[in-house]
Amino acid sequence: MSTSHSKKSKEILKDFGKITRHDQTFWSVRVKRDIVAKQLPEWEALRQKASEIKRHTISHLADYLEEFSKNLESRGVIVHWAKDAQEFNEIVYGILESHKVSKMVKSKSMLTEECEMNKYLMERGIDVVETDLGERIIQLLNAKPAHIVMPAIHITREEVGKLFEEKGISKEIGNYDPTYLTRCARHHLRDQFMDAQAGLTGCNFGVAKTGDIVVCTNEGNADMTTSMPKLHIVAMGLEKLIPDYDSLAVFQRLLSRCGTGQPTTTFTSHFRQARPGAEMHVVLLDNGRSDIIANQEHWETLKCIRCGACMNTCPVYRRSTGYSYSYFIPGPIGVNLGMLHDEKKHSGNVSACSLCLSCDFVCPVHVNPGSQIYSWRQQLDKIGTANPVKKFMSRGMKVLYEHYPLYDTGLKFAPLINKLPWAIVGNPKLNPWCVGHDTPKFAKESFHELWKKGKVK
Amino acid sequence: MKKEQLFAKLRANTHVQFDMPDIQMDAIQYEDTLKQFETITQSVGGKVLEVEKGADLNALIKKSYPDAKIIASNVPGILAQRNPDTVAEAQELNGTDVGVVRGGLGVAENACVWIPQTMKEKAVCFISENLVILLNKRDIVNNMHEAYKRIEMDPKYNFGTFISGPSKTADIEQALVMGAQAARDVTVFLLDE
Repeated sequence: MSTSHSKKSKEILKDFGKITRHDQTFWSVRVKRDIVAKQLPEWEALRQKASEIKRHTISHLADYLEEFSKNLESRGVIVHWAKDAQEFNEIVYGILESHKVSKMVKSKSMLTEECEMNKYLMERGIDVVETDLGERIIQLLNAKPAHIVMPAIHITREEVGKLFEEKGISKEIGNYDPTYLTRCARHHLRDQFMDAQAGLTGCNFGVAKTGDIVVCTNEGNADMTTSMPKLHIVAMGLEKLIPDYDSLAVFQRLLSRCGTGQPTTTFTSHFRQARPGAEMHVVLLDNGRSDIIANQEHWETLKCIRCGACMNTCPVYRRSTGYSYSYFIPGPIGVNLGMLHDEKKHSGNVSACSLCLSCDFVCPVHVNPGSQIYSWRQQLDKIGTANPVKKFMSRGMKVLYEHYPLYDTGLKFAPLINKLPWAIVGNPKLNPWCVGHDTPKFAKESFHELWKKGKVK
Repeated sequence: MKKEQLFAKLRANTHVQFDMPDIQMDAIQYEDTLKQFETITQSVGGKVLEVEKGADLNALIKKSYPDAKIIASNVPGILAQRNPDTVAEAQELNGTDVGVVRGGLGVAENACVWIPQTMKEKAVCFISENLVILLNKRDIVNNMHEAYKRIEMDPKYNFGTFISGPSKTADIEQALVMGAQAARDVTVFLLDE
């Protein structure tokens, strides 16, 4: 009865020490989030407003996109529209090629992961350099991010130290001190910023009324990325739009408090035009978002601001890591986005939920990812990915529960199961349910019978 | 993709439209915004220096960063070896020990300081090893709602950034390290203007 998620997590769980550290790390981020949230009496009102603003914006998206792109174009920014990942990559490559770019620095962008842009560009001879420290580590390891905000947090300092030694970034062999390693990365990346001909950033928020691209980082790497090269490309999903500065205040206050438990990111930068002598392009990506709007049950996933709070709090994510999910965005929101992207391919993730709904409780924009996972589970049969054994069991239970005489008889004989040897009850082939579940002890008399006999006081 | 096609599809696929909520927030206020700003600045790893009226800023910069050899600034009256307005390329600002910039507004709740670009090369705000931000101590608001109602950009550059303390990262095992890619140290000079 294993799903793709449970199979992968089983492998990951073999390293008990590592998974425990992973669990504790993300729980500590959740605790930090709670501390900063409690400092604001208006916290719940902020979440409510954020949700309502996003509902409004997404249900008026065409109008806001029109206003946003007009404002950017009025200041000479070139706006592109990409239908899917292929088009997005072609547009970015086209811009780079026309500027004869051989090296591009970039700040963190999950959108470029969605499009597998780095691979596309590197195959065409462009040296793409990630500049967020975590992303750079992941890139040098030739791996994929395991979290949308803290992509390399599952990697130990020793592993980072050895990687940096191997790449010539660290010269002091055996020095695994995080401060030392961060300094090494600073020097290494400084060189990259100096000679890159282009810089690409993501976009946390696009402000329609003013035409601002707002990028939030702690490292300042998005700012370094855009301060030296003469070409700035912004990779942005359609759903990143918000109406105005009053709305932006709500989201700026929520984003980092939810994501990392900080009162703000160190840098919140607002780009409205290219810097002197430079050129700025904004590439807006659809890639299915315009279809999600039509999905009455799940369209509100588009409200997500990618803070990562749902992952940090999720007991399943914390104990299975980002690599146990089949979609590039893991955790509760990733389960939903994966299903919206390709429900057949990513059905194996919907089991990665205990329905504790802790994610619904922390989500800053009331996406309610846990409740949505529940609703996806109801659809599995229709999608054609329901587990046949579970389906069989459910049918059996339906018959049992709908026929009282059958149920009563079953209950009467149930205590016999208590006497069955473990070789039968604990055999996964005969009883697939026994994996990870204890068989309950059946009572000699049911509550029903006790009641009838007046034994219930 | 043609944007007209996209807009048409988005409009056709939208089933219910929601109104914009009333966005006025009853947001947090502080008894002493200056004190709150100082506390939070320190908690995010920054420093604050209250500057008396008429004090010598150049001497205070020297005192704050005694080892600094190269200062970059276009602020009138600041003694600097480099000027972000006159360097040919942003790269020339690499190796700056202290950048000195003007802040427009501070935010008490999170120690953000609004820095609109008022120089040709904004790199000075990020590339310098240490950053000194000059801020009028009367320009501190309670929260981001108030801040976003007041901030302005220089229409010549149309760029601005909120900076709250030094550049930082916790990407290696959650160990907090100051000085990732931008300034390793930030001091806000609170001026009595």
